[in-house]
Amino acid sequence: MSVLGFSEARHLVSRTGFSTEWNEVNRASKLSSDQVINSLLQQNNRRTPAVPTLSSWARTKGLANNPARRKMVKRTARQEGQRLQTWWIKHLLTTRTPFLEHMTLFWHNHFPSSISKTKQAHFLYQQNTLFRQQALGNFGVLLRAVAKDPAMLLYLDGYSNTKEKPNENFSHEILELFTLGRGHYTQSDIQNAARAFTGWTINSQGKFTMDTTQHDTGVKTFLGQKGRFNGDDIINILLKHPRTAETIAEKMWLEFINTTQPNKSTIKQWAGVFRNSNYSIKQLLRAVLTSKAFWSQHNRGALIKSPIHLAVGTLRTLPYKLPRQGIEHHLNILGQGVFQHPSVNGWAGGKNWITTQSILLRASLLNNISGARLNPYGDIARQLPKASGERLQQWLLATKPLNSIDLTQEKQRLVHQLILDPAYQVY
Amino acid sequence: MNRRHFLKYSSLISTVGALPQIAFGAGKNQRQNKVLVLVELKGGNDGFNSLVPYDDPLYYDYRGALALPKRNLIQLEKGRGLAPSLKAIAPLWNAGEMAWIEGVGYPQGILSHFRSLNIWETASNANQVLHNGWLSKVLPQYKKGLHGIALNTGEIRLGPLDSTNLNSVTMRNPYSFLKQSQYIADIPLSRQTSAIKHLTDKQHQLHDLGRQIEERMGKTASGSPYASRFTKGKLAHSLTSVTDMILSGVDAPVYKVTQSGFDTHANQLDAQNNALFQLAHGLNTFATIMKQNNRWNDVLVVTYSEFGRRVKVNKSGGTDHGTASAQMVLGGNVRGGIYGKHPNFNNLDANENVHHTTDFRSVYGSIAQQWWRQSNPWKPYGTLPFLK
Repeated sequence: MSVLGFSEARHLVSRTGFSTEWNEVNRASKLSSDQVINSLLQQNNRRTPAVPTLSSWARTKGLANNPARRKMVKRTARQEGQRLQTWWIKHLLTTRTPFLEHMTLFWHNHFPSSISKTKQAHFLYQQNTLFRQQALGNFGVLLRAVAKDPAMLLYLDGYSNTKEKPNENFSHEILELFTLGRGHYTQSDIQNAARAFTGWTINSQGKFTMDTTQHDTGVKTFLGQKGRFNGDDIINILLKHPRTAETIAEKMWLEFINTTQPNKSTIKQWAGVFRNSNYSIKQLLRAVLTSKAFWSQHNRGALIKSPIHLAVGTLRTLPYKLPRQGIEHHLNILGQGVFQHPSVNGWAGGKNWITTQSILLRASLLNNISGARLNPYGDIARQLPKASGERLQQWLLATKPLNSIDLTQEKQRLVHQLILDPAYQVY
Repeated sequence: MNRRHFLKYSSLISTVGALPQIAFGAGKNQRQNKVLVLVELKGGNDGFNSLVPYDDPLYYDYRGALALPKRNLIQLEKGRGLAPSLKAIAPLWNAGEMAWIEGVGYPQGILSHFRSLNIWETASNANQVLHNGWLSKVLPQYKKGLHGIALNTGEIRLGPLDSTNLNSVTMRNPYSFLKQSQYIADIPLSRQTSAIKHLTDKQHQLHDLGRQIEERMGKTASGSPYASRFTKGKLAHSLTSVTDMILSGVDAPVYKVTQSGFDTHANQLDAQNNALFQLAHGLNTFATIMKQNNRWNDVLVVTYSEFGRRVKVNKSGGTDHGTASAQMVLGGNVRGGIYGKHPNFNNLDANENVHHTTDFRSVYGSIAQQWWRQSNPWKPYGTLPFLK
């Protein structure tokens, strides 16, 4: 089998991780695409940096029930949310399994649960662990676990969904965003699903529990079927629906191929692979990463770097020092604070990352990271790969630069110019 | 950021050479000076507690403790009163410069914030997803060059100005924008991929607007001469910026600002009071300054919200997501009065929401036809005579 070579290896590494680490690209360049894809799909590292101290559910509830101390809930949530951000960003910057983290981030955005609403950082940490466990695992298992996940029960009000006062928030989103997508269900399906999920709540230990006294045991009609459904039954029906696999396949297209709308026949094919493998995320990703579309030259430079790709990727690829204040603040301003989604729709991503305002902020972030104040002249040049100017350009940019750049100039300056070129914003 | 470093950066990226002057000069047409200020009321504003239908007895039945007593209202006409929190803009009603449109919505109202906002922003039907903001059907014919500026307070969205055929930008305020944008060089447009095309288009627009603001507002501008006239708060901050740009001759035909705090599921009285109070004070100050500078006849202010609220008060002293709501229109060329039709509280839908009486696209059509004198892309929905 033929080996990938530098530019194809670069493409695969940049699309699956967050960046184009020199050693990774060079290692992959000497292997076949199957070899690299196999090893990517086997990434299975559960170790993360030390977890910050986070308040227990019992403490948060105690504070919330005490009118004099209620304000502390908000303050604590804000502080602990920041600590959790720092924790994950540190992991993203240093992990040796970037594809696994990329997919963890993908599920984090498919199933958002922000700290502003949940106010319980410990639950978000647990949810993050779940995403990492199932990142390359099984979507059916993941969907069932998310429906019972305490952070999600808080985020979409499942926690207070009772038979007297059914709350439609979770049922609405599991249909619209997590599985079928708009246009494939009715308002009545939402209402019936909400009744089926009644009683799914959190106990005093902060664990999922089914409160049978709050469960609506009546007959529900959901997507044309009738029965005394509970939440598990609803999820079973959703997993049998062809749209569920298509929704995930469509998201994979936007994540790995192109910002434009996906090609219908490709989606049908990937969704078929996904369903036939009983929702094996690995099998779906294998189909994506070996597809013609993934390797097509037309799709090079067709994705826009998210703020995390931009900042974390730069710091993973180049020997710049991490700014003392970290990059969490920058990511928040750029709209991709982790555990801090703007809404249940998650980050819209793609072209939405580039607005007239974000161009300024992104340039200023890159400038900050690569600036001479942090990176004394000489230091960087010494640590850069010993390669020609052409090779450095090929390494850092997925397409030709848009500015004219002198490739023969001194290396530190050349790299600085390359990452400030608009072509560095795409991959 | 270190200024010296920025300069170094600027010298690095301006290696493209001379900057082409496309699009910029072309927009300088003095006759096209009709400005629309869109005010998004984020979260779904309760129209029934903004323009109160005090002559509808069902209002008091449904609203219970949330109902605003008639004696506290500012009386308008036809059995309608202004919520007391809107008192600051009441003088505009007396001057005949305030209109309200009742029962505005669309068929099969959607109760999701995101989706319904999207419908309002793109003028789509409930079951239709469109990707271009409604202004993209009017502004490209109205003028070349800059089409609009969305003042943001953190969230970076263009909303109704979002479209590939609109030259629109979002910014926090023109001063910080100017500081940052002067270091952005123009780059050649490229269509290599859709992503790259988007990127180069946006950078080009950014560059053009930076030049325009610098030319009109001056390189040294560092703060607004009007800031002290406005109260505190995000809307006031955005309106200060709009004031500055209009009066210094920046030629955007649309400015979009946002007042948040309208998703009043619980304890609505306090929350909505606060949001409406800020809205009224901000807009009244804005109108006063426009009048003093003889620009009020060129300005049209229109509020909108993704949906209204349910008629019936909920168990938490709030109201849940609804359908039709009332829109407020202000301006020197407005024909004051109450338009549209109050929804029938006797006839609610399955979610206990009102049926809309006036399609939101008739408001857009009126603006296209009567404000900018363009053809009306929403003809089937008719127009309303709220403009002189």
